[in-house]
Amino acid sequence: MTAFVVRRLFRLVVVCVGVSLVTFAILHASGDPVSLIMPEAPEADRAVLRQALGLHDPLIVQFARFVGRAAGGDFGNSFFHRTPAFGLVMERMPTTLTLTLLSMALAIVVALPVGIYGAVRRGRAVDQVATGAVFLGQSMPVFWTGIMLILLFSVQWRLLPVSGWDSWTSVVLPTLTLGAFTAPLLLRIVRSSMLEVIGLDYVRTARAKGVAEWLVIGRHALKNAALPLVTVTGLQFGLLLGGAVITETVFAIPGVGRLIVGAIRQLDFPVVQAGVFMLAMIVVSVNFTVDVLYVYLNPRIRLR
Amino acid sequence: MRHGSLPLLAVLLLLALAPSADAQPKDTLTIALVAHAPTLDPHMHFERVGILVNINMFDSLLHRSAKLAYEPALATSWKAINETTWEFKLRKGVRFHNGDTLTAEDVKFSFDRVLEPGKTTKKSPQYGNVRAIKEVRIVDPDTIHVVTDKPFPLLLERLVFFPIVPKKHVEKVGDDAFGASAPIGTGPWKFVEWKRDQYIRLDAHDGYWRGKPPFKHLIVRAIPEIATEVAELKTGGVDLMRNVPADLVPELKTGPQTYVSSTPILRVHQIELDMRSAPFDKKLVRQAANYAIDKQAIIQKLMGGLGQQVATVVQPPAFGFDAEVKPYPYDPPKARELLARAGYPNGVDVTLHSASVEFRPLFEAMAQMLTEVGIRVNTRMWDPGPAWNKFFQSEGKATNGIYFNWGNYSVFDADAVLHPLFHTEPGGWIGKWYTRVEGLDKLIDEGRSTLNQPQRKRTYSQIQRVIHEEAPAIFLFTQYDTLGIAKRVEYAARGDEWLWLFDAKPRR
Repeated sequence: MTAFVVRRLFRLVVVCVGVSLVTFAILHASGDPVSLIMPEAPEADRAVLRQALGLHDPLIVQFARFVGRAAGGDFGNSFFHRTPAFGLVMERMPTTLTLTLLSMALAIVVALPVGIYGAVRRGRAVDQVATGAVFLGQSMPVFWTGIMLILLFSVQWRLLPVSGWDSWTSVVLPTLTLGAFTAPLLLRIVRSSMLEVIGLDYVRTARAKGVAEWLVIGRHALKNAALPLVTVTGLQFGLLLGGAVITETVFAIPGVGRLIVGAIRQLDFPVVQAGVFMLAMIVVSVNFTVDVLYVYLNPRIRLR
Repeated sequence: MRHGSLPLLAVLLLLALAPSADAQPKDTLTIALVAHAPTLDPHMHFERVGILVNINMFDSLLHRSAKLAYEPALATSWKAINETTWEFKLRKGVRFHNGDTLTAEDVKFSFDRVLEPGKTTKKSPQYGNVRAIKEVRIVDPDTIHVVTDKPFPLLLERLVFFPIVPKKHVEKVGDDAFGASAPIGTGPWKFVEWKRDQYIRLDAHDGYWRGKPPFKHLIVRAIPEIATEVAELKTGGVDLMRNVPADLVPELKTGPQTYVSSTPILRVHQIELDMRSAPFDKKLVRQAANYAIDKQAIIQKLMGGLGQQVATVVQPPAFGFDAEVKPYPYDPPKARELLARAGYPNGVDVTLHSASVEFRPLFEAMAQMLTEVGIRVNTRMWDPGPAWNKFFQSEGKATNGIYFNWGNYSVFDADAVLHPLFHTEPGGWIGKWYTRVEGLDKLIDEGRSTLNQPQRKRTYSQIQRVIHEEAPAIFLFTQYDTLGIAKRVEYAARGDEWLWLFDAKPRR
């Protein structure tokens, strides 16, 4: 087990370096931040600033310096905010994580019971409505869902604030939006793996022994049906963080996604690097956790 | 079913508990901007959204009235003593938010922190605006002299936004803290709290020299999505928003709680043509392109009527505008004829670029109109992000023209549009790549090197006739500023796109 964890941790490091390399390369291929910072300055002034920001060195030197510092949590100062980029990102991280985790929780709370019920009572009304909802949910882009929810709940019914992040009421719509983005896929996974499992011999055996139906489903079947759900939940987490970028923009939430989008527009290299790096770290850590969890849930999986 | 109904129940419960979303206190004014500037220090950024906040916290030497005339602010009077020296008399007894009295030292300090005499790199991105100033001298406690290196006709324009900051305070807290958590000015509202990407909270400055502002609290929210801003406005979450898109204007106009205020602004649209290469190296082709576009149709059909046709790029409210120069009429046969005479009887293929995403329909309509007369346009629409910047910085190669708009940085003077667009000096903007009009550089230089306004006016008339004839761009229209406002607030859009909220009043 220890060897497995160590190997996975090593892979985690490799992924992080890879992510920073790609981010770094794309950013530096995308233009000159100095001409955005001082649009009217003569070239001589720009050269001085380029020097000050360390943008005059060869790319490989810049990258080496970046990795060296990043290892110590120092991503440099934001070109625009003039404060440490890492601080700017971490200041907003709790907001993004809250939004993502709440949406994930909502998606699971909806997907699990509805998916199970749909599988058990296959083809009945609830199942058909759920399948329709899945279809709808998967075809709606996040920003559209968000704006429609605003129109309904805030403009039409005046129940919730349109945007912001100051009270728990303002958390509801973004969570619904992002939850609606994730729930359909989870629901489908739960339903199909449940369908698969309840047809298996051991479930029939359990029923034949006279075990109560809710126990058959809830204890015996669910355990095996939950495996794909765990995997997909882990994978979905990365997608959710991507969706959070859009949700944060629509609902004016002060999160990491919105910070990164703004920083990309301004070619604020340190902030983009710090932001992407931290988000990548989270995705990789979640997947790592899922991998480890898997071993507990499914003893058949061999550790390599 | 037992399981399925639980979350639904929870949501319903949440909704039942939620307080009603609207209902703002009467003495609070809330406005929405798409973003906050990175700092509240008025000298250390160059962003419209920052300026709009700064002007309500800081005063400059001069102010511009709603009718766009100069008004005394921290300076009570001013005059040019000679071609390069201006004298300003300072207002007495003005108090900063912290109670300190404004002195000539503060004024000199404010200039020096942007000019940074003797330094090669300047901290302030606004340096370029005032680089013509050589020195600021204190003559006596109520008088300062501003000395420029050569005659600088735009000085007063630049001083309308040149906020004065308190020397003692800035030196005590330092530049960074001043911009992040301790901005202090002499303006109508003082700083209370800033939650980045959420809101800036300001309170009325009781000792304000103009008197108390009508709203006690001012909140500036950052809402990046326009559709969200509109929803906030309709539900009373904000009282004022900028840049209402043309298709949403009717909805806000007829809404029970909202109205729209719009006014022509300096922002002028054009397709600047690359005169270095075929086909736009030929004057006749450039003129043909100007005849090919039905500007009125675009204004009426695509801008909701909120636009004004212009003969060149000089905007009607800008100093130097000459109404005698008339816009090219819409005349497709004439365009075809000119094109044939230029040697393109079968038409010609060109590529035009743009990053003005919000005006994409206009761009495509104009491309279609050009194509109809034989200038077959391949349009390339860019996201206004890094890729566009790189393309633009690499001299806009592989292009025949760029569609964009220019807002003069709110400077009401022909120079502020002519120089960046058409002057070819290396430090200039787009003109250095595209424009090749014999003698135009010299005329533009002439206009900016004297304080003699009648003479400048004559120079600009001449320039407008020259560029109208030479057509270094397809001349189009100016745009309107369109504000969405809650009915509980009385305010009107200004020609300089400022939000001078001291003029906003509660309506009973």
